[in-house]
Amino acid sequence: MRGKQAVLLVVTLLLLLGTAILYSGDRVSAAAAGQISGTIKLDGAAPHQKPIDMSKEPSCAAIHKDKPVSTEIVVAGPNGGLEWVVVYISEGLNAAEASAVPSETPSFDQKGCQYIPHVLALDVGQHFKVVNSDQTSHNIHPLPRPGGPNHEWNKSQPQGSPPFDVAWTGEEMIPVKCNIHPWMHGYMAVVKGPYAVSDGNGSYTISGVPPGSYTVTAWQEQYGAQTQKVTVASGKATADFTFKAK
Amino acid sequence: MRTNACKWSLLLAAVAVAALCSRSSAQMTKYDEDQRLGMESHIGKLTGRAAAAKENYRRFCTGCHGDEGDGEGENAQWIDPKPRNFTLATFKCRSTPTGTLPTDEDLFNTIGRGIMNSNMPPWNPLSQQARADLVAYVKHFSPRWQTEKAGAPIQIPPAPEVTADRIKAGQAMFQKLECWKCHGVEGRSNGPSADTLTDDQNRAIKPFNFHDENRFKCGVSDEDLYKIFMTGLDGTPMPSFADNVKPEEAWELVYYLRTLQPMPSKEKDIAKQLGLKPINPNATAAPTAAQ
Amino acid sequence: MLNYFGQKFKDNGYQLMNDRDSPIWQNNGYWPVTMRITPSWHRESTNKVAVDQTGLNQQITAHGFDVGGLDILAGGTLEKNVSFLLVPSSDETGAFHFESVNARLDNLFGSSWLNLKMGKFELDNIVSEKRGLTLTANGGGFQLYHFIPVGDSNFLGQIGDNQLGLEWLGHSANDRTRISAAIFSSTDGNPDLPGSNAYTGFFAASQAFDAGKLGTQRLGFYAMVGQAPTDTLTSGGEPIAGGGIGNKGFSREGFVGLFYLGKLDFQVVTQHGSDNAYFANALPAGSTLPTGARDAVWNGAFVETHYVYNPQLIFIQRSEWIRMSQQGNPANASNAGDLDNYVVGFRYMPFMNARAGFAWHNEYSWIRQRGGAPDGSDLTSNSFMSGFDFDF
Repeated sequence: MRGKQAVLLVVTLLLLLGTAILYSGDRVSAAAAGQISGTIKLDGAAPHQKPIDMSKEPSCAAIHKDKPVSTEIVVAGPNGGLEWVVVYISEGLNAAEASAVPSETPSFDQKGCQYIPHVLALDVGQHFKVVNSDQTSHNIHPLPRPGGPNHEWNKSQPQGSPPFDVAWTGEEMIPVKCNIHPWMHGYMAVVKGPYAVSDGNGSYTISGVPPGSYTVTAWQEQYGAQTQKVTVASGKATADFTFKAK
Repeated sequence: MRTNACKWSLLLAAVAVAALCSRSSAQMTKYDEDQRLGMESHIGKLTGRAAAAKENYRRFCTGCHGDEGDGEGENAQWIDPKPRNFTLATFKCRSTPTGTLPTDEDLFNTIGRGIMNSNMPPWNPLSQQARADLVAYVKHFSPRWQTEKAGAPIQIPPAPEVTADRIKAGQAMFQKLECWKCHGVEGRSNGPSADTLTDDQNRAIKPFNFHDENRFKCGVSDEDLYKIFMTGLDGTPMPSFADNVKPEEAWELVYYLRTLQPMPSKEKDIAKQLGLKPINPNATAAPTAAQ
Repeated sequence: MLNYFGQKFKDNGYQLMNDRDSPIWQNNGYWPVTMRITPSWHRESTNKVAVDQTGLNQQITAHGFDVGGLDILAGGTLEKNVSFLLVPSSDETGAFHFESVNARLDNLFGSSWLNLKMGKFELDNIVSEKRGLTLTANGGGFQLYHFIPVGDSNFLGQIGDNQLGLEWLGHSANDRTRISAAIFSSTDGNPDLPGSNAYTGFFAASQAFDAGKLGTQRLGFYAMVGQAPTDTLTSGGEPIAGGGIGNKGFSREGFVGLFYLGKLDFQVVTQHGSDNAYFANALPAGSTLPTGARDAVWNGAFVETHYVYNPQLIFIQRSEWIRMSQQGNPANASNAGDLDNYVVGFRYMPFMNARAGFAWHNEYSWIRQRGGAPDGSDLTSNSFMSGFDFDF
C-alpha cells in the first residue's frame, strides 16, 4: 500500500541518517573538513648558521662547490618567515582522528650529505622511506628519547642500496644523525592527527581538519613549542606564530 | 597464570609509563622496584630470578653501574668507556637486530665474558645460576622488558671454507660498504671519520682497531665478528649492515677482516700468498672479485 | 677469604685479563697501595700464669685499648703479565718486617697454567690465613697452621708463615682448577739464610665445581714435605749462616673444602702432621734419643662457618681441634699439647665503598691446651675484642 510504503521509506531513511550520524561520531563528514593555515615568523635576527665543511666527503663537497651549505637549525627567509616549523593539532581531536594514519609514504633522503627534508613530519604508525641518493655510504642513526616509546637503531645504507621502510610507534621529535658525516642533522617529527611543515616563507597549511575547537602547536628545533587555540568552522582558520630570536 | 601475567604486564606497563612521565627514567618507585624484582631470565635450562641477584649486584656491580642501574656508580667518573646504563635497555653485544632487545643468553654471555678494552671484567668465576640471576636483575632496571620481547636472533649460516676468492670478495665488501671511512684502510681506527665519532650520549668514541687488537668487545670468534656487523653495536656509531649484506657475503667480510688483525691465521697466510694490498679509498668503483 | 672472582683476579696476577687492567690504564703514576690498621678494645684472660710475687699459678686478666700493628699492602701489575706484591708489616710496637716481597711472571707463553712467583710469599693455602675473618689473640689465626707439639724444636712446619722460595701456579681459564708447587728454604721466611741449607716443598691442588642453585664448591688437598736442620754450627758462639746440620724430615698434609649453601659458607681444613723424633725431642741428629722416643704425629681439623646476612653483615664461627696421636717424647702425657679452640664473632661494614674497607669487628675466642699450664694441668685462655678493622 502506498502510504505504508512511504512510511517505510521515511523510517529507513531516518534509520540510515541516524546510523550515519552515529558512526561518524559528533562530526560531520570529511567533505566539509576545513584547514588551518598561517605564517610563522621569527622576531629578530636569526642566529648565524655555520657553513658546513664537507671536504672529508669529496663526493658531497663537489655537489655543493658552487653553493656551500650551512647548518639548518634556524632557517629564516628574507621576510622573517621561519622554515621547518612543524605545526600540528595537540588537543581536540577524537581518538579516531588522532590515530588516523595517512597512506602516503614520504621519503627521507640523504642527498649531498644532507637530510632532505631537514624536518620530516609524520603520524604515529605512518610508513616512510629512507633513501640514499648519494655516491657514498651513510648510516641512519635516529636517537629517540631512551625509555620512551620509540627505540634507537642504527643501520648502514651503502650507495645504490634500496630504500628502508620505517614507522615509529609514539609521538616524539626524534633527532637523526649520520656518524660517518657528523654535520648531518635532521628531525623526524612524529605527531598524531593532521600536520604541516612551514616552507621558506614561513607559511603552512594543515588540511583535512574537521570543524571543531583545537589547540594547535608549532614546534621549532631551537625555540621549542608554542600553542594557540583555534576554532575551525567549515572552511579556513588561521593561526600565526611568532618565535623570538635568542 | 597467563592471564595473570597479561594483567600484571599491563599494570606494569601503565605504572611504568606513569612513572616515566613523572620522573627521570633512572629512578623507580619502591612499588615499581618490588614489581620488577619478579623479572626472570631463561638461558638454556637455567632460570634466573632478579630478587635472588640483589646481593650479588650490590657486591659486584653497583660500584660502576650504580644502585639504580643507571651507570652512575661511584667508580663511573674515572672510567672510559662509561659503564652501561641499564635503564636505557640499549646494548652493544647482541645476536638480535638493531633496535631490538638482546636475548637473555646475549646478556649472560656478556656478563661471563666481560668486555675487552673496557673495565667490565669477566664474571665467569660466579656460578652459572648467579649469572642467570644477574641477567634478570639487569633486565629489571628498564620498563622496556615489561612490554617488549627480545628480538629474534639473526640466523648465522655455517661458516664456509676460507678461500682466496672469499677473502678477495671480502675486501671488495670492505671497500663498497666504506668500513674504511671509520676503521681506516688497514683497520688502524684512523679513517677520515674516526675523529668525529660520538656515541649516543655524545661522548667521543673510537672505532675498533683491527690492526692492533685480537679480541673484540663482544667476543673473539668468527661468529662473534659476524654478529657485530650484522646486528650493529647499539648505542655506538657502529651500524647494522644486515639490510645490505647477504649471509655469504658476511662470511667473506669476516675472513677479510681477519687478515687485518695481528694474530696468525689461515686468512692472513692466504692474504700473504695473494700479496693482498690495502684497498684504495679513492678508487671510484669497488674492485671486483675477479681482480 | 677471597670470593671466586677475587681468587681468579689474584691468580691472573692481579689482572682482569681484558687489556684494561689497572694500574697501567689508570695513570702512569698510579701505585696501588692500601694500609690496614686495627684499633680495638680487648680483654685477655689466662687461667694459670706463674706469678713470682705469690709463687702461685694465678688467673691473669688484662684489658684496654690497643692497636694491632700496621700492614701496608702494595700489589698489582708493573706491566702486562708482570705483577708483584709488597707487604711491609709492623707489629704493634712499630717494628717492621716484610710479610711479603715477591715478583711474579704471569701467563707465561700465553698460558694460565704457567705462572712463576719468587720471593717471600704466603703458601698457596686454599684457605688463606692472611684473609681470615678473625682477629683475636687466641682466635685470630688457625692453630693448625702454626702447631708445634709440646717440646718440639721444629718451628719450620708452619704453613701459615710466609716463606722464601719459588712457586709455580697453574689454573684453568675460569680458575675452577688450581694446582701449585713451591720450593722454599727451610727458614720459616726469615731472610739471610739463618743456619739452613735445607729446602721444603709445598703442593696444593683443588677443583671447584658448580653445584647448581647451591653455588660453587671447592675441594682440594695440600702437602708440605721438608727437611730442616736439628742443629747448627756456630762461630764464636753465633750460628753460622748455612751452618745447619743434622737435617731431618717433617710433613703436613690435609684436605680442604669450601662449601657454599645460600647465605652460609663453610671452610673445612684437616691436617695430619708428623715431625721427626729428633725434632719432637728437641735433640740434634746423631745424639741418643730417649728410649721410646718416636716421631710426633697429630691430626687436626677446623670448620669455619660464615653466615652472610648481607654483604655488610657477616657472622663467623670457627671450631678447631688438634689431637696428638703419637707423642714424640715418651715422658709426655698422651694428650699433652692437644688443642681445642672456639671462636665466634661478627663483622659489620656500615658502608660499601670502592676506596676503603671499614668493619666494626667483634669477636670472642676460647682456647684450651692440655697440659699447657705451668703446673702441668690444662691451660685455658680467652680473648674478647671490639674494634675497627680499617683498610684504606
